[in-house]
Amino acid sequence: MVVRKRVNRSVAPLAAAVALFLAANPAKAETQGYVISWFATATYNLDFKGNCPEDRNGGQIAYRLRTLKQLGYADDVAKAIVQDEEHPLAKEANLKAETRAVVNGKPASIYNYPEAVPDPNLELSSGKYAYGFDLDGKTNPNDFEDPDTGLKVDNQLWRAVGCTESFTATPPDKPYYEDLTWNLMVDSAPGWSLRISGEDLSKDGPVKIVLDRITQHLDRNAAGGILHNMTYVIDPSPRSHNEFNGEIKDGVLWVKKGGNLYLEGEMPYHHEIALENTHMRITRQENQEIAGYWSGYLNWKNWVYMYTARPVNGEDTIGIYYALKKSADADPDPKTGQNRMISATWRMEAVPAYLADISGKIVATPASASQPLQKLADSSGE
Amino acid sequence: MKNVRVSLRRGLIAAVSLVSLAAATPAIVVWAADTAPAADEPTSVRLSPSQFRQTIADVFGTGIVISGRFEPEVREQGLLAVGARKASITDMGLERYDELARNIAAQVVDERNRVTLIPCKPKSATAADDACARTFLASAGKLLYRRSLNDGELAALVKVAGDSANGLKDFYAGVGTSVANMLVSPNFLFRYKFVEADADNAGKFRLDSFSKAQALSYLLWNSTPDAMLIDAAESGKLHTKAGLQFQVDRMLSSPRVEGGIRAFFSDMLGFSDFEVLSKDPMFFPRYTIRVKEESQEQTLRTIVDHIVKRQGDYRDLFTTPNTFLTRALASLYAVPLVETTDNGQPMRWIPYTYPEGDPRAGILAHASFVALHSPAGRTSPTGRGKALRENILCQAVPAPPGNVDFSAVEQASRELSTARERLAAHATQPMCAGCHKITDPMGLALENFDSSGGYRTTENGAQIDTNVEVSGVKISGAAGLAKAIHGDPAAVSCVAKRIFAFGAGRLPLATDVEWNRIEKAFASSKYNVLSLMREIALSDLFYRPQNIQLASASGK
Repeated sequence: MVVRKRVNRSVAPLAAAVALFLAANPAKAETQGYVISWFATATYNLDFKGNCPEDRNGGQIAYRLRTLKQLGYADDVAKAIVQDEEHPLAKEANLKAETRAVVNGKPASIYNYPEAVPDPNLELSSGKYAYGFDLDGKTNPNDFEDPDTGLKVDNQLWRAVGCTESFTATPPDKPYYEDLTWNLMVDSAPGWSLRISGEDLSKDGPVKIVLDRITQHLDRNAAGGILHNMTYVIDPSPRSHNEFNGEIKDGVLWVKKGGNLYLEGEMPYHHEIALENTHMRITRQENQEIAGYWSGYLNWKNWVYMYTARPVNGEDTIGIYYALKKSADADPDPKTGQNRMISATWRMEAVPAYLADISGKIVATPASASQPLQKLADSSGE
Repeated sequence: MKNVRVSLRRGLIAAVSLVSLAAATPAIVVWAADTAPAADEPTSVRLSPSQFRQTIADVFGTGIVISGRFEPEVREQGLLAVGARKASITDMGLERYDELARNIAAQVVDERNRVTLIPCKPKSATAADDACARTFLASAGKLLYRRSLNDGELAALVKVAGDSANGLKDFYAGVGTSVANMLVSPNFLFRYKFVEADADNAGKFRLDSFSKAQALSYLLWNSTPDAMLIDAAESGKLHTKAGLQFQVDRMLSSPRVEGGIRAFFSDMLGFSDFEVLSKDPMFFPRYTIRVKEESQEQTLRTIVDHIVKRQGDYRDLFTTPNTFLTRALASLYAVPLVETTDNGQPMRWIPYTYPEGDPRAGILAHASFVALHSPAGRTSPTGRGKALRENILCQAVPAPPGNVDFSAVEQASRELSTARERLAAHATQPMCAGCHKITDPMGLALENFDSSGGYRTTENGAQIDTNVEVSGVKISGAAGLAKAIHGDPAAVSCVAKRIFAFGAGRLPLATDVEWNRIEKAFASSKYNVLSLMREIALSDLFYRPQNIQLASASGK
């Protein structure tokens, strides 16, 4: 499946590279149900040197050393503090680092007052590839190329964060801190559902995609993944209800210019997903799961808030703040000219599920269960 | 407290090895070493883990947490309940029981529980109060020992409680010491059968009334007799027909009968094997620890609903579309199950009815059967067929020879994709073919269920064929097998015998006139299991001592 392959994806023609979306599961006028089993900023970092030739951002250790030196600690003392959390100076040094912003002459939290700290000028991604879509319909020097489709891509979020350590992953590997956060919260936070409806989902044609929040958290399987074929109830609140018109073409489900998307979350990282000019591309895996990318413009300050709200993110938060601010590419503020939105892409994965409305009526069934029982696949391996 | 406990425990180790504790039950004839009963007649039966738990729950409430492992159980004649007659307690096992006893006793006298469990308040919480201790220990001891304590026993327990209380300056700790002592006493850990001369039939013998009460209580409730039953035993009413009938009907109408049904079917269906059951999570990710636990509960709930609440025909358990599921189990079976509780609430059990003709109907299609009798990574039609023959039909299946080559069965290949193909190859070994003819057809009918209980139609890409022939009858799939079991007289005969053995610790003789009458009554009741239990509980056969010779009876 295309989303699982890590090589030669950059130039492969889409029709040849992707598997048929639903070809293995012919059914008529059905609605298939899924729950989002994993969600994070889309990353693509097979060629780190190509993306980040200067390699000057470093990771958590490099960031801490830089900060401590800026605060006036000698090299050997800074190294000792970084290497030993119990170092006598560690507590004081950490406090100084986190309150090095100066507001009205007093130290203040850098997270609350990022503009009160100088721009550390992180290296931005200058590589060729990023996942996403052509959001603005224009060709410009900042465009990336999608490694799956070969089409041009607006994804300035990737440009801003692509050279930081926790985003060095490439699917199926996941960006470390977002993966960690998701795994911490998935057992308690209500999940999100996805419904796909169409006259004949085994063929190309128009489909409708509906996204909602559900009232229950997801449940894990014995291998730590998300259980297939569980039944979830859709939250009746319209706040997180989203409908998009899409199309299955050459087996891939596309949504283009889908308008706004809003999903309320509870996680420290993904407290909300809010996109404008939503685009989607979704493919099916052999195990009935689906995976794909959602793209659009998001408020870059909200993204930074998500990032800094997460405990111990281990990255140069202020550097990322400035990187996003500089990379933002849409919705200029009429007064300052500063762009308020940034093009971005999320990667999502979802597993088959039964979905019910609040009255208990089943409104979507898993792809496998929508067939006659006799057609169910060998369940070994789900 | 520790010194007291240690010295008592040493004494108890010796007491356990002696088994018969005549002093505990004066005026009752016990087995003499030279007058041992027939081999199939148990004189003492160790409490099973489930009986231990249920008894503690019934005496002290369900709030008492019992954590710890028990002595291993032995299965005989298809039941752990029969094997329990040969079970002893090892030194290490006694250490475990001692730990359990201390833990339970500490909870009983804990500040949270003492107000409700101890019916009196001591004059001082920091000193002995013999009167209060006696009141509590007499009432608790009656339920734990399943009879009233004699004066000597009670005095000893009160003294231990008092000495301990004064030493520790804590009345409740003192009482706790005596509770712990009772919980490691053979009088609690073992159920004894004592016989006495039958006053109504000169020259004959019968179980004494306390032994009768215990047999009745553990058959119907899997727990200790309650105060009313012990009172009936003490008054002698249990020896009268009307008195026995009153108690049996009272007990069968109690909600506690559910405990007896659950314990019996857990034993009959071999649920103790779940302790060592595991599945490969890479192949069967839906088989979680939760599903493993809940699959047993699914079957037990289905059985209790069918047998206790609906009073249904036992045979219909194999075909009933009615069951109970949680969302996790529904995921395993790939069926929708809507639950509208708030996020974070425990999953609820929800009634579920399969559509007509669905192969997942009936308890043989539950994961508690098809998963329990499958190895970690594949199914075993042989294992399932063997379990069906032995557990459901009471038929014996010989063990495989020691030098069998299982490679054809265990390893899938391009040529041998399905279990049917692999077993056919294996059966070419002449020494294997005979037994596999007995087991495999039934198991192959269940091949649409993978090792975890999930439904499938293919194995390694090949279509699964579930058409088989059993004793000349063609059967198709799980539904066909369920119908065949439903109509097999061996199924009802088996459950009847096993229920009798569950309570009596021995199988009934098939030629026994009384047993034949019970079997006919079972059929007349349309195989109502509660009616069967009533017939057994009211029959002389159930309480009849076997092959008694009491040379020392009069001398006692």
